Parts: sequence; C-alpha cells; structure tokens
Amino acid sequence: MTWYEIWMEIFGFTSAIPEWALASLVLASVFCLVVFPASAAIALVERKLGADLQARIGPNRAGKFGLLQPFADILKMMQKEPTNAQSWREEFWLAILTVALYSTAAVLPLGSLTLLVNSDMSAFLPFWAFMILALGMMFLGYNQDSVPGWFSGIRVAAQTLSGAFPALVAMLCAGILSGGYRWTDFAAHQGAGPFSWALFSNPFMFLAFVVFTISGMVILAVHPLDSCFSIDIRGGIAAGFYGRRLGFFRLGRFYAFFLWAVMAVVIFCGGWNIPEFAKSAVEGDGRWIGVLELVVVTSKSLILMISTFALGRVIPGLRADQVTDLTWKVLGPLSLVALIGCALWVGGFGA
Amino acid sequence: MNTLGSNTEGRLEHLHTDFTHWEIGPYHPGLPGPLRLRVTLDGEIIVRLEAETGYVHRGLEKNFESRNWIQGLPYADRVDPEAAVFGEIAYCSAVEEICGIEIPGRAAYVRMILSELTRISSHFRSFVALADAVGADTFKHYVLRDREKILDLFELITGGRFALNFMRFGGVAEDVTEGFLERVFDACELVKMRIKEYNDLFSFNHALLARTAGTGVVPAERAVAQGLTGPSVRASGRAFDVRKVHPYLGYSDIDFEVPVGKGEFGRTGDAHDRYLVRLREVSQSIRIIKQVSESIPDGPYCSMKRDLRFKVPAGEHYFRVEGPRGLLGCHVVSDGGDHPLRVSFRTPSHAALGILPEVAVGARLEDLPVILASLDISVSEVDR
Repeated sequence: MTWYEIWMEIFGFTSAIPEWALASLVLASVFCLVVFPASAAIALVERKLGADLQARIGPNRAGKFGLLQPFADILKMMQKEPTNAQSWREEFWLAILTVALYSTAAVLPLGSLTLLVNSDMSAFLPFWAFMILALGMMFLGYNQDSVPGWFSGIRVAAQTLSGAFPALVAMLCAGILSGGYRWTDFAAHQGAGPFSWALFSNPFMFLAFVVFTISGMVILAVHPLDSCFSIDIRGGIAAGFYGRRLGFFRLGRFYAFFLWAVMAVVIFCGGWNIPEFAKSAVEGDGRWIGVLELVVVTSKSLILMISTFALGRVIPGLRADQVTDLTWKVLGPLSLVALIGCALWVGGFGA
Repeated sequence: MNTLGSNTEGRLEHLHTDFTHWEIGPYHPGLPGPLRLRVTLDGEIIVRLEAETGYVHRGLEKNFESRNWIQGLPYADRVDPEAAVFGEIAYCSAVEEICGIEIPGRAAYVRMILSELTRISSHFRSFVALADAVGADTFKHYVLRDREKILDLFELITGGRFALNFMRFGGVAEDVTEGFLERVFDACELVKMRIKEYNDLFSFNHALLARTAGTGVVPAERAVAQGLTGPSVRASGRAFDVRKVHPYLGYSDIDFEVPVGKGEFGRTGDAHDRYLVRLREVSQSIRIIKQVSESIPDGPYCSMKRDLRFKVPAGEHYFRVEGPRGLLGCHVVSDGGDHPLRVSFRTPSHAALGILPEVAVGARLEDLPVILASLDISVSEVDR
C-alpha cells in the first residue's frame, strides 16, 4: 500500500480529498507525533545518560525523575523576551535554512506510512538540504556582525563541504548493493534481522557505514566534531540566539541530526523492515504495518543518535582544521576504498 | 614577527587576507577570569596578542597597610583564592622570620599537608580548565567530583572550602581534628586510583594529543627569561622547585621528585607537557602527604597566643613558597608598628600572562583557550 492509500483508509476519506491536503496532514502528523516527541525524548535521555556517564544525577526537578524537563525547557525558552532586535538579514537566513531543512520531511523515510516522495533521487535530496543548511548557517553567522559569528559560519561551511564528499561516496556504496537510490530500494534489499542488514553484507559496506556515520557528525557538527561551536568563539552562531529563537534553532539542529540518523538506518541498518511474526500479529493490516515500520525506524534512529551523543561526551573536541583534515585525508580516501571494494565485491560475489 | 609556538608550517604565504581585530573579554568562557585580550588574526592564525588586566584589581596589597598584622591574613588568602593557603603561608612565614618566631614541628607538618592538598585541588582546577578548552565534558566532571573530596577535607579542618584563614603567626589556628589524618590518607588513595582513570580516559587520548601536543610551546630559555616558574617552567625542562632549591617548612626531610617535561608526545614545553607535569605533581603531592601524615610529630600546633595588638619589629623579609602555579613570594616591611608598612606579592601568574603574547603568536584561535588553560593563569593573582 502507498502512503496515500493507507491514509485514505485510516480516515475513511473519499478520493475527492486532494493529495496535497492529505500530504499536509501527513507532514503535520510527522512533526507533531514523531519529530517533536522524539526531540523531547532524546533531549532528556541524552542529558540523563550524559549525567550518568559523568557521575552526576542530571535533571531531576521537573516531574518524576525529571521526566518533564524538556517541557520545562520549552516553557522557559518561550517566556524569554528578546532584549535586542535581530537584524532582518539574520531573520532571513534563519528562515531560509529552516525552510530548506524542514522541507526534507517530505523525503523522511519513516516507513510506508509517511513516505511521501520516493523517487530515484530520494536519497540525495537530504544532502541538498544539508548544503542549504550550511549556506544558511554561514550567512547567518556572517550577519550576526560579530567575530565569533563569522568564524562559526566559515567553520560550518568548511565542515559541511568536507563532510559531504565522503558521506555521498559512502551512500553510493549502498546504491551499488541495492541497485537504486529510492528509499524502498534500500529497504527491500535488507531484512529485519541484523545479519541481513546492508552494514554486515560485506566488509566494505561496514567501512562505508563508519564513514557515513562520522561524516554525518562532521556535516551536522556533532561533538566532538563541532569546532564551529567551540569555546574560543564562545559557542559561535548558537550564542547569538536566546529564548524562542534558540528553541527553534535547537529543534532545527535536532531535526537535521534525526534526519541523518534515519538515513543511516534506512541505508545501512535494515531500514523499516519488521519481522515476519510482527506482520502476522497484525494480520497483514497495512495501517498497523505502517505504524510498526515507523516505530522500528524511529527506535533504531534514536539508538544511533544516543550512541553518538554518548561517544561525544567522552572524546575531546577537534579543531576545525583537524576536522577537515580528517574528512579530506582520512574519510575521503576510505570512502573511495569502500566504493571500489563494494563494486568489486558485488561484481564478484553478487549483492 | 615572533613565531614562538608557531604551527604555520606549510602555510601559503600568497593567500593573504585582511587582518581581523578582535577584543576577547573581559568576560568570555575561554578566559581564566576577567581579562581582555586584543587579538589580531590572519585568517585563524594569531599574529599579535596584547593582554589588558586590571578588571579585578582590589587594592589587596594596599589593604594590608590599614589593617593590623593578623587582620592581613584573610587578604593573603585572596591573592589566589584557588590556592589560598600559599598566600597565608608566605605572609606568615615572612612575618615569623622578621620576629624570629620558631613554629612547632606539628604546625609545619600541618602546613605541608594543607599545601599539598591545595596543590592537588588547584591542579585539578587547571585540568577542568583544559577539559573545558578542548570540550572533554566527562573528564571535567570526574575531576570536579574528586576535587570535592579535597575541599571536604579543608572544610573538616578549617570550616572553609576555599578561603581557609587557618594560618597564624607561630603555627596554625587549630590542631587537626580527630580522624582527619585517616581521611586524608583515604583521599590520597582515592586520588591515586583516579589518576589511572584520568590517564585511561583523557591523558593519552588521541584527540587530546592532537589539541595539546606541540601547542603553545615555551622553550626553556624563554621561560627563564620571562620569570616563568612552577609546572610551566618545569614542563620546559627546568627542574626548578622552591621546595628543593630553598626548602622551607619540613620539605628537606621529605622524599619526593620534581617531574619535568620531556616532550613525550610533541615538543618539550608544550601544553601537553604542562598537563602531564601537573598530573605527575599530583602523584608527588600524594607521596609527600603520606610521608607527612605518617611522621607528624606530637606537640603544640602554635607557638604564640593570638594578640590583635601584636607588633612586628622594624625590618623586612621576603619569603617564597612553591605554589601550584609557581613561585609565590611575599615581601613584608615593618616599621615596628602594629600594622605592616608594606606587603607585596610576587605571583607566578603574572609571569605566565607575560609570556602569553609570545606563545600565542602563530597558534590558531582555537588553541588560545588551550594555551591559557595550560599556563594556568589566575587573574586574581595578576591583578591583586
């Protein structure tokens, strides 16, 4: 079943409902039921887990065990009034990068329930958003009219450009294996169990996964590869925001990271495939299968994100030039090795 | 242009951009305190740096002159609030030298225990600054957790955690409380165990080495010329330690080593050497504390009664101690009255800040917090 058929069935709509209206409903549902709750959950888990790693208690005041901390944070940020107006240029670039980023929700591969766009170029579309995100961040930093903003913007651009190359090449490896760049191609080629994931199909795919993961951290400036937000520039671009804008900015960054994690899961870690017993448990009902797929892909993505955060908590951060050296001199060549190796492997042993 | 500490090798000279001027501070998370750094940057490379101080000037030395002798003690505490006890010991010892007061052996040993505990606490604080500079969050929290154990010991014996105000002319304010020495022993064992944990997690981490090895190199001759002392000069290869060169209290009876930098991972005198020297000094401090705790003599803890109208004979004396940041000297002048004529301090951070413009030139902007943290500058010491 396509997403359109599933949603028509869920709400009992007639075909008179235009597709664009239903697509809007799907996007709103994705944000309200997946992205926002996931961002709240991951913010809490990351802080609790980080505190546990660091022999601290972590947030424990808002609600039982601090479970309401994300809501307390949101309320606090919403109540803060700006003390000085931001320039229209900053507003403009914040809007540009936000629109570019959230537009990727249409290609967010969360399973058959929400897969609005499934073209031959689906897997490449988020990269376009990441590039706009980098461009927007660069101009945003430049227009903050401060030295930290300038440096932060330039470092974001340098990191994103250097990280995009190995990430793209790593993704090409998966394309060779699955024979296409539709999200459904990646998913169809893998299974629910870990041994049927693309990641473990051959050594070069594992290498490609490692390269893709680290490159994603570079593109999205996740600690320890976050020189654009380092202490010397007192937090960089993010330090120029407060209150509601900061909340908005942070949510955007969370979404970008979530998107990257979903991509990694769909391309390398079994996609949204669910075990056969689960399918039989819901008696092949397309609606429930769609929901289960959504749960599976979201859970795996969140686990990947939390693992990355935990790693970032213990490793010292690198300098901007060291990050770009890592991507150009290490990840780039490794991704090419993975690509050639994967092509030979598939040619020799088959996919 | 001075290229001390430069890492500009391989830079394309024809790619010139306009210089960027940036005034960092006085309040900035990468700075050790209120301080303004005027930085000129070529791209991200620092080509010029000027430090402006005076943001926390308290007229501390002048304050001594309007207080009687014993009232000066809390001011001596605040020369470097992170290592308060050294200011007190330097001031008290200088006064005791002028008066010819002998301090009891027990008091000298208590002073040594407090000195070494403070050294550990202060070095831990410098590790926190370095961890902040490189973004090593977990290591930072581990160190802060362990530092609390040391501060608990201060609280147990003095009632204070930072400004102890525990020294008195002729000894210390109180005898050690019951069970204090055992708890000191336990804390030492804990810290010893933690050092291994720090090494596993942080000291030899590749990312840390990438950030600190070869960064902010201070050659030994420049360190000496600028008057750098303490772990910073020892990291440059000079084993200068006041406890060995001019022993005071009971340090001449104690067996300990002076760690020096060897450039194990980068170049001698780099930021990583400074970190390693401090870490090894923590081990040596534990060694000293254990020896002192085991051989602390019985007897009085102070050789004279407290007297607010206490007068110091006319004369002057300069006393130096080995603080956690280096040589801390106190020059006391008396005209025979009940308050000092002049008290001045020679602080190690002043020299460390003096060498900063040399060390920073050629480094990348991102290295600046690392260099500052590795030099372990106390702005409070600089401004006074």
